[in-house]
Amino acid sequence: MSRAAHGGRGPAIRLAGLRKVYTTRGRPPVVAVDGLDLTVERGEIFGLLGPNGAGKTTTVEICEGLLDATEGVVEVLGMDWGGDAEQIRARIGVSLQDTRLFEKQTVAELCALFAGLYEPSRSVEELIALVQLEEKADTRYAHLSGGQRQRLAVATALAGRPELLFLDEPTTGLDPQSRRSLWDVIRAYRDEDGGTVVLTTHYMEEAAQLCDRVMVVDHGRSIALGSPAELIAGLGAAHVVEARAPGLAARVDGGVLEGIEGILERHANGDRLHLSVTAPHVVLPGILRAFERAGVELEALTTRHTSLEDVFVHLTGRQLRDGGES
Amino acid sequence: MRPRVLRAVTRTVLLEHLRTPEAVFWTYGFPLVMALVLGFAFGEGKAEPSRVAVVDDAPAALIAAIDEHSEDRVTAQTMTAMEARRALTLGLVDLVVSGEPARPVFDLDPMRTGSELARLQVERALLRAGGAVDPGAGSLIRPVDEPGDRYIDFLIAGLIGMNLLGAGMYGIGYNVVMMRSNKLLRRLAVTPMRRGEFLAAFLMSRTLLALPPPLAILAFGIFAFGVPVHGSWLALLGLILLGTLTFAGLGLLVASRARTSESVSGWINLVTMPMWLLGGIFFSNERFPDLVQPLVRAMPMTQFTDGMRGIMLGSFDPGQIATSAVGLAVVGLLSFAAALRLFRWN
Repeated sequence: MSRAAHGGRGPAIRLAGLRKVYTTRGRPPVVAVDGLDLTVERGEIFGLLGPNGAGKTTTVEICEGLLDATEGVVEVLGMDWGGDAEQIRARIGVSLQDTRLFEKQTVAELCALFAGLYEPSRSVEELIALVQLEEKADTRYAHLSGGQRQRLAVATALAGRPELLFLDEPTTGLDPQSRRSLWDVIRAYRDEDGGTVVLTTHYMEEAAQLCDRVMVVDHGRSIALGSPAELIAGLGAAHVVEARAPGLAARVDGGVLEGIEGILERHANGDRLHLSVTAPHVVLPGILRAFERAGVELEALTTRHTSLEDVFVHLTGRQLRDGGES
Repeated sequence: MRPRVLRAVTRTVLLEHLRTPEAVFWTYGFPLVMALVLGFAFGEGKAEPSRVAVVDDAPAALIAAIDEHSEDRVTAQTMTAMEARRALTLGLVDLVVSGEPARPVFDLDPMRTGSELARLQVERALLRAGGAVDPGAGSLIRPVDEPGDRYIDFLIAGLIGMNLLGAGMYGIGYNVVMMRSNKLLRRLAVTPMRRGEFLAAFLMSRTLLALPPPLAILAFGIFAFGVPVHGSWLALLGLILLGTLTFAGLGLLVASRARTSESVSGWINLVTMPMWLLGGIFFSNERFPDLVQPLVRAMPMTQFTDGMRGIMLGSFDPGQIATSAVGLAVVGLLSFAAALRLFRWN
């Protein structure tokens, strides 16, 4: 019987006014997390979404007890790291970014190691089956692929039947198939064990597919919070039109698109144009006519549904991928 | 300390080591090969005759006197003055002789005992050739090659110390830093494993791995060279265990902060080099200059090799051995205490 299933009352995580400032002698202090408020409910898959350097990992590592907060309230499963560290550690599971386990141990032995650290714990067979590594049970860690290592990392995080699972960029660098199989493991943990998941990612698709709610984080601040559907709906535009032509941004800024109804928002940069629209079939003819009149020679024109990526662009004016801090 | 946790960590650390065949070679094979090579190089065999160059413009009587009256303790070659000088510099000969049999001239390197010895041997041959009463006639020369007085008897204790130092520095220090740089320490730190449990299990397994090689070196010395153990076996084994723990503590200390293999390598060299040079591993450190004696005496390696030799060769009384053991224990305890305070999990 899973302990996670009985759960407890109250939220899985509560952060209030969380701040983390890194001070290095001789350098100006760096504010990694700048006043974050967050409540993660039990049983949800919660995503922290943002570019590299946004403060996602710092936030998660504070929740995991690896880092101390500079300021603010941190409650994990209703407990406090100051007084209940060992209790919290017994009830959470963690997969960190770029950890390398013992190179010369097999999958089964590593599962046994982590199972040995928890009481009660899952059996080795159960852990291996959870992440479908049966065929690799006797393979040493050094010989596993990136996807297999990530699955094993999640298995070790599940060793103690945690109520709360932290996954820091669990699918970074994985091929789409490995990514989807890891999503299945995460969903199964939530659906079958009733566990809570907090994960970080910079893949918008991952957040949209997997998470019940996401917080979009940029420069250590929350810039949006809600279900992926809510965030997208919040833009008021269901579709995006993207166009490319030489010097397009300058032409658009010069007024080429003035007077066309149904364009809610536009971002132009170099050769690229990004429009949020309610209905492409209504707007497109007007746009094409305007381009033709202005002599714009289009190289590409695409339309698609609005994604979380667009939410990020809308909120920050930047693409997610090039939004990393120096 | 929960046995379940200790067992899980210990098993992992032991397996990780045993699956690294090269590490097993360096801990077992290397010291044995070293004992073998050095034991033979400085061990058995007759004393080599002194090599002497006689300058070719010297009178024939000089060469004849050396050849006939040196009792094969000297081999003389003639060469030009310049060749002879060169041979002396390169160490091909120990002494250059010129001049008359009655008034010989010696060129030698006063720092080389071989040179002084050759001079005495040549002088003696020349005295005899000149009809002098044999200057050494009344003396009796007894060569020493009894177990207990040979280089190999001295060396075994040093090799054991070197091996334990390596086990502490690499087996513990380097491995801990690799676990830190692989973020494995942080991964373990977020489990309910207590930090003390991890350190205890890690040290326990590394101590288990560190103990057999010294015993193998000791056994090799005893069976291959007849190295004696005059003192108490119990004291000897106790001192080896104490040495293992002390060097383990030092290993943990060098590893307490370093984040990369490069930075820990620097610390390891800083600790290892002086101990190799001054710790009495390969040669006695008793006669080092007074200036470095405080450093020599403060070194745990000196305490260890002194104590080991005291027990094995019976050259120290129990009080002195106990002093060495206490010195070693103090360094070990201070290292552990400092390492625990400084230890970085992140």
